Amino acid sequence: MPEVLRRALVDRRRTLLSWSIGTALYIGMIAAVFPSVKDSPGFQNLAQNYPDVLKHLFGISGTLGITTGPGFLDAELFSAMLPLFVLVLAIGTGAGTLAGEHEQGLLELVISAPVSRRSIVLWKAAGLAIELGVLAAAATAALLVADPLAGLSLDVSRVVGAVAGLGLLGLFHGSMALAVGAATRHRASAIGVPAAVAAVGYLVAGLAGLAGWLSPFRYLSPFHYSGQAPLQTGADGPGLLVLAAGAAAMVGAAVLAFERRDLGGG
Amino acid sequence: MPPSPPAIKTVALSKVYPGGVEALTALDLVVEPGEVFALLGPNGAGKSTLIRVLLDLIRPTAGHASLFGIDTRTGGPAARADAGYVPGDPRLAGRMTGREQLESLARLRRASAGAHEALAERFAAPLDRPMRDLSRGNRQKIALIQAFMHEPRLLLLDEATSGLDPLMQDQFRRLVREQASEGRTVLLSSHSLDEVQHTADRVGIIREGRLAAVETVEGLISRSVRHVTARLATRADPADFASLRSVRDVTSDRRILRMRVQGEMDDLVKALASHQVLDLTITPADLEEIFLGFYHEDESDA
Repeated sequence: MPEVLRRALVDRRRTLLSWSIGTALYIGMIAAVFPSVKDSPGFQNLAQNYPDVLKHLFGISGTLGITTGPGFLDAELFSAMLPLFVLVLAIGTGAGTLAGEHEQGLLELVISAPVSRRSIVLWKAAGLAIELGVLAAAATAALLVADPLAGLSLDVSRVVGAVAGLGLLGLFHGSMALAVGAATRHRASAIGVPAAVAAVGYLVAGLAGLAGWLSPFRYLSPFHYSGQAPLQTGADGPGLLVLAAGAAAMVGAAVLAFERRDLGGG
Repeated sequence: MPPSPPAIKTVALSKVYPGGVEALTALDLVVEPGEVFALLGPNGAGKSTLIRVLLDLIRPTAGHASLFGIDTRTGGPAARADAGYVPGDPRLAGRMTGREQLESLARLRRASAGAHEALAERFAAPLDRPMRDLSRGNRQKIALIQAFMHEPRLLLLDEATSGLDPLMQDQFRRLVREQASEGRTVLLSSHSLDEVQHTADRVGIIREGRLAAVETVEGLISRSVRHVTARLATRADPADFASLRSVRDVTSDRRILRMRVQGEMDDLVKALASHQVLDLTITPADLEEIFLGFYHEDESDA
């Protein structure tokens, strides 16, 4: 394995392990609640009486309804918490691996070795993708284990599609953190810019169905492509391709920016 | 056989940092293979910038640099493939131990995993403690080992002895001389004339981004100023000393004579020999005075 990739994975192994376990446990916890709420008429009514704004943001407006397994998990996991988990890990890695290491002065010896800057960025992007793959695998495993135990009636292909949407959402924002970090060398900007993009994108995608004037802007939101209510409606194949292409463009921008910068010292 | 290209060559190399700080100004330098070349200059003179440009860490604003004939900008990683580097402020991942750090850098340079062992023993470097627990001197040892361990043909050493105790500084000097005797090239930066005298073949005086002069060590010493203080048993006439060719600025305070000497000591020693000398101290001039010496000459040349 190339040393740059190996180092990236070794440095993040503890974070990744705890993050994956935490995500799987959270999924298990939410799934465990499902059997007790699905037959409760109060829950159904409560959900229906939410203001439209919240219904849209929390994915309650899906086709199957919140008392079905897919509808429940879309609302409780895929509308907010899982994207949040994935984005925190992805942006943290993307910002830490270039801008963070540069701020700590750790890149100087790496770049002084006969390694091209392009390959440094590409291997760090590969490390980010592998991390997200591990997190996605943990989430998928947790969903598939919980499915029979909690009677969720999930469709395996939709689970895979939904988790793939999350992973690509993370890859896009993590790659943006790489690119911003490569261009500015500041870890704070490398976290702040993609985090702001994610926050705005989340609101735009969630509220576009509600506020007509926002509707044209939904195509600019990464969340529009990662699948809304993905366990109920299935993943949006072309949408996933858009996210993947966006992530690739961000990595390309990171390479260009990193190749131009002065590194090491003022 | 074609003549081998210089180990280091820069042509009209300039670097202006964003913000307008001119770190290097049209610097021309040639270092031949097998040579130990010292960059001597005060902090901020451009020594680190020059070394970083050679490693393509920093991009020049104008001019070119090459290592063994390969352009550092267009030649890609091949230009620095055979270089070892000690950064001026070496920072190494805090959580890793010295051994992990060295093994990782060895893999990056495709050196064998145990390449550091002999050097670690020689410098008595602690390998099994996390880097963040190490003292400045011990971290510097790790930085030195990683630069030398893959036996590169070219060593770029930026203030490499900072933080080392005198024993280790001596070890470092011997290592540098060994490298040179094996035909490797060393470019080291320093602000210590003493260190440079003991290691280098040639010395480049660098100041405000310009190479003010290039001298052999012998030449530098012969031109450099020393402060001499002699305590004599009897009063001596300062004029006897002021008339000597190499002596300047003689002051006398009862039986204590103070003067500055530039060049050979021979006249002074012979003049002192006619007195009973109770004590004699000779202090090398600091860098600023050496530079002033060069500036004086620039003025008298003009």
